[in-house]
Amino acid sequence: MLKLHDLSKIYRTDEVETVALDTVNIEIEAGEFVAIMGPSGCGKSTLLNIIGMLDSPTSGAYLFLDEDVSGYSESQLSNIRKHNIGFIFQSFNLIDELTVAENIELALLYHNIPASERKSRVATIMDKVGIAHRAKHMPSQLSGGQQQRVAVARAVVGNQGLILADEPTGNLDSAHGQEVMEMLQGLNDEGTTIVMVTHSPAHSDYARRTINLFDGHVVTENLRATG
Amino acid sequence: MISNYLLAAWRHIANNRLFSVINIFGLSVGLMSCILILIYVRDELSYDQWLPDGERLVRLHTAYYSPDAPPFLTIRAAGRMMEAIRNYASDQVETGLRLVEVGVTVVRGDAIFNEDIMFADGTFFDVFQLPFVHGSAGTSFSKPMDLVITESTAIKYFGRTDVVGKNLTACCLQGSQLEVQVTGVIRDLPENTHLEFEFLTFLDPSMFDFAPNVLNTWTSVNTYTYFKLKAGADAESLKKRVDYWLNNESPLREMVEEGVLPSERLQLKIMPVPDLHLKALRDAGNIGDMKPLGNNSMVLAFVGIAFLILLIASVNFMNLSTARASRRAREVALRKVMGASRRQVAMQFLGEAVAISVLSLLFALVAVELVLPFYNMAIGRQLNLVLSDDLPLLITLVSIAVLVGLVSGSYPAIYLSRFLPARILKANQSSDGGGQSNIRSLLVIFQFAASIGLAVCTVVIYAQTSYARSMDVGYNYENKIVLSGLGATAAVDQRQTIVNELTAIEGVEHVVLSSEVPSQDNENNTGFTLLEGASEGLSESVVLNYYTAGFGFFEAYEMEMLAGRGFDEAFSSDVIVPVPEGDDRIGHAGVVINESAMRRLGFSSPEEALGKTLRADMFRAGTFDLSIVGVAKDVYFRSIKFGIRASVFLNNPGSLRVATLGFRTHDVAGLVREVERVWKKILPTTPISREFLSEMIQAQYQAEEDQAKLFGIFSALAVVIACLGLYGLASFTAERRTREIGIRKVMGARVRDIVGLLVWQFSAPVLIANILAWPIAWYVMSEWLDGFSYRIEGHYILVASMAAGTAALLIAWLTVAGRAWKVAAANPVNSLRYE
Ligand SMILES: Nc1ncnc2c1ncn2[C@@H]1O[C@H](COP(=O)(O)OP(=O)(O)O)[C@@H](O)[C@H]1O
Ligand SMILES: [Mg+2]
Repeated sequence: MLKLHDLSKIYRTDEVETVALDTVNIEIEAGEFVAIMGPSGCGKSTLLNIIGMLDSPTSGAYLFLDEDVSGYSESQLSNIRKHNIGFIFQSFNLIDELTVAENIELALLYHNIPASERKSRVATIMDKVGIAHRAKHMPSQLSGGQQQRVAVARAVVGNQGLILADEPTGNLDSAHGQEVMEMLQGLNDEGTTIVMVTHSPAHSDYARRTINLFDGHVVTENLRATG
Repeated sequence: MISNYLLAAWRHIANNRLFSVINIFGLSVGLMSCILILIYVRDELSYDQWLPDGERLVRLHTAYYSPDAPPFLTIRAAGRMMEAIRNYASDQVETGLRLVEVGVTVVRGDAIFNEDIMFADGTFFDVFQLPFVHGSAGTSFSKPMDLVITESTAIKYFGRTDVVGKNLTACCLQGSQLEVQVTGVIRDLPENTHLEFEFLTFLDPSMFDFAPNVLNTWTSVNTYTYFKLKAGADAESLKKRVDYWLNNESPLREMVEEGVLPSERLQLKIMPVPDLHLKALRDAGNIGDMKPLGNNSMVLAFVGIAFLILLIASVNFMNLSTARASRRAREVALRKVMGASRRQVAMQFLGEAVAISVLSLLFALVAVELVLPFYNMAIGRQLNLVLSDDLPLLITLVSIAVLVGLVSGSYPAIYLSRFLPARILKANQSSDGGGQSNIRSLLVIFQFAASIGLAVCTVVIYAQTSYARSMDVGYNYENKIVLSGLGATAAVDQRQTIVNELTAIEGVEHVVLSSEVPSQDNENNTGFTLLEGASEGLSESVVLNYYTAGFGFFEAYEMEMLAGRGFDEAFSSDVIVPVPEGDDRIGHAGVVINESAMRRLGFSSPEEALGKTLRADMFRAGTFDLSIVGVAKDVYFRSIKFGIRASVFLNNPGSLRVATLGFRTHDVAGLVREVERVWKKILPTTPISREFLSEMIQAQYQAEEDQAKLFGIFSALAVVIACLGLYGLASFTAERRTREIGIRKVMGARVRDIVGLLVWQFSAPVLIANILAWPIAWYVMSEWLDGFSYRIEGHYILVASMAAGTAALLIAWLTVAGRAWKVAAANPVNSLRYE
């Protein structure tokens, strides 16, 4: 599905240079469930952002669906992104002024989909993640777990094949975290590729493969024995 | 504690440059406008307030009504009214005073000047206690022909002020030259009085025996009439007495038609002298006062604008403070955690607002200093601002600044102090709910409604003034020089000579004589009876306005004749030749009437009027039968504000006072020199008084144009302040919404989707503001336009509204789009990082 080749990311701010990623080589197949782990500041979010085309690498190649996208313009990237990639953030990142349904609909708003179809797809996905009864609520009226379920719904409502989740359970208690992980597992079973950053070994167990980052380097890759 | 607050406030100002600049600039400009308007209004309100016993002084105004003509209003009164009212209401009136203005030439050595002499009853200084420089009220103004002049007049003629006992020669009173001795010198009249004169002469009523329409009359209005009231009486009580007298005791009962009360034809109004400057305008008709009157509604309008500008600036402050609230939320929360009460937090923010407002006042004062000379030029005043000797003004300004600070700080203070620390410090919640942005939208709507309203008014006022200026008045006023003073005794004999010599000058096309030229608002009325009407029972006389037009007048002015002809030397029988005194014969002459007069006299077509006869009493010339020889198209002979009056044109050589000289030349300066040379040669003792007719016409619109200009400037300032606020608000909103913008971009929104989103957010309030502003502007401007007899049509207001609304929307778009673009183009990652 995607392939990173000798990819580096260097942040330059006022004479300080941070090497967030250092010649990283990663390949991810369609249908995989990959966990990324590592200490804080080691470059996990940076990696995820680059995979999600929210940020561009300083050097190296990035092949997405066999296309080298590293030289693409922002609008080209935006176009690929909105059809293929869904995001889930640790802090949910729902828009406070919009209702649950509107937040989910946002992911379809820029896709040229007629309003009636948008509504029905939003309704379907809300049923699926179990928040249909909260459709008219504002995010501030929901618990963290419910908010994250909305975020998951938003990430997949556009039939995106790849979901990038940056510490999706970081702000949730274990029960709610478990719930979200099961949802991701379910999506993966249906064929969605998932790349997830997490600190919890328990949650990384849901993944088939774990990539350990340290100081911008890939240290180890563990494959979980399928049993 | 205080220093901690001050430090926080100062850091806040310094660290939020955009916020501070917008607020301080907006408030400074607002306060500057407010100060400029305030000193102007204060000056307007100060007129005649300084007069000793001013509250006991009143003036008598007159209004005439006739069934089918517009009312005739004047701030003067008939000559016999003063004595009659003083005697009848002697329990209320302490003394009365008449003033009569007479134009003369004053000679001293080689110097000759045209001057107006104010003849006044001996009671003048009892009524107006003006300070003397030399002499005193008792000694200098005690017998007929005593002459009191102002200081600057003394200097003009003698080079010094102690000139009591010196002689001046005046020409001409009753046809003869007169040697008058100066008996007193008074201080120059201040700017802020309705009175205006340089020469004040003790009136001897017998002087006007030759002109009974000045003093010895119940119907001609030629005197300014004042009363000083006894203690306890006021304008209202005197008005009651006068109204009773008019219908029950006055000789006017005999002068109106059978079955009609005098009050149906004539109203006597009493106005307190301190009110004159601002309120006399509504009684003044078109002859005006001694000098231009103020305009109460303009003063109110300006006060309204000042208030709106300040409000708009205050709203900026409120909006920007609350919009940025999330940034200070943490400070508030921590202060509260440390034990600050809500009241203390609120006081802190109020204090900040007052500090910013007072700082703005300082900038505003500097700005006033800088723009005052231009402002004075624009309004034709000499206003100044010396705060050190003007404690009341200083206190007023500081109070206004503090009040503005309190008003603008109140909402942010209440809003910010309400933050609950627990919620803010939880940090994951956005601190800014939807409610506040609604209030901000309301405030933006208010700002833009006010700005759009002001802009509409400005456009309409401009359109009306330029329309009035460019309208077709019906005659040609270009390339004409008006020479007045030909009615002076010395000039009468030379009149034909001077006309001939002027006509001979190279480039002069014609020289015609008349009693008035267009734009001169003199009022001459007399009754005309249509003789042919008698058979149809129309024997009543119709009061019409009349002018004298010499030979060639209509042709020179290119006034169109609907039927018949103008006056021509070939028809010498048109001319009014006075019937010798003691002779009872009725004289015969020709007359030209205008279209309106034709209708007033009951004719349905110009042709029908030709050849018919009007009988009229021409005062000292005798009674005349006037045969209608021509019907002229209606023209705006008087100012456009006055409209068209039913008028009669006579050819009465006794009334020819002004010459109109039409020219066609490229060397206007040379022509003027030549005209002056000819005048001086033929009339050496009469100073020349010449004006370009186009400038006289233009002068009529000057006041309106100046006001339009001021209105425009202040509304533009209001719009600028409102836009600044919008810019700031858009910036902060865009900033506050960066997270949302980031999310939307992650979802695939393009930069232009984001810009569109923000632009729409700010378009909605501006659109609503339009909906609010239009009807109000429509109403106000329709009322204003109603005051003009000749005006642009109502749909212009709509056009102006659309123009102003569209402009406001465009400005709002540009303002917001610039900011939105910057935020929208930023990488969403930064705004989505969890920190
Ligand atoms: N926009 C940025 N500018 C400068 N440095 C950054 C930026 N984003 C991340 N970094 C730095 O890059 C490194 C990796 O950051 P990040 O990928 O967020 O780590 P993680 O998600 O593993 O905690 C850190 O040292 C961080 O300080
Ligand atoms: Mg991270």
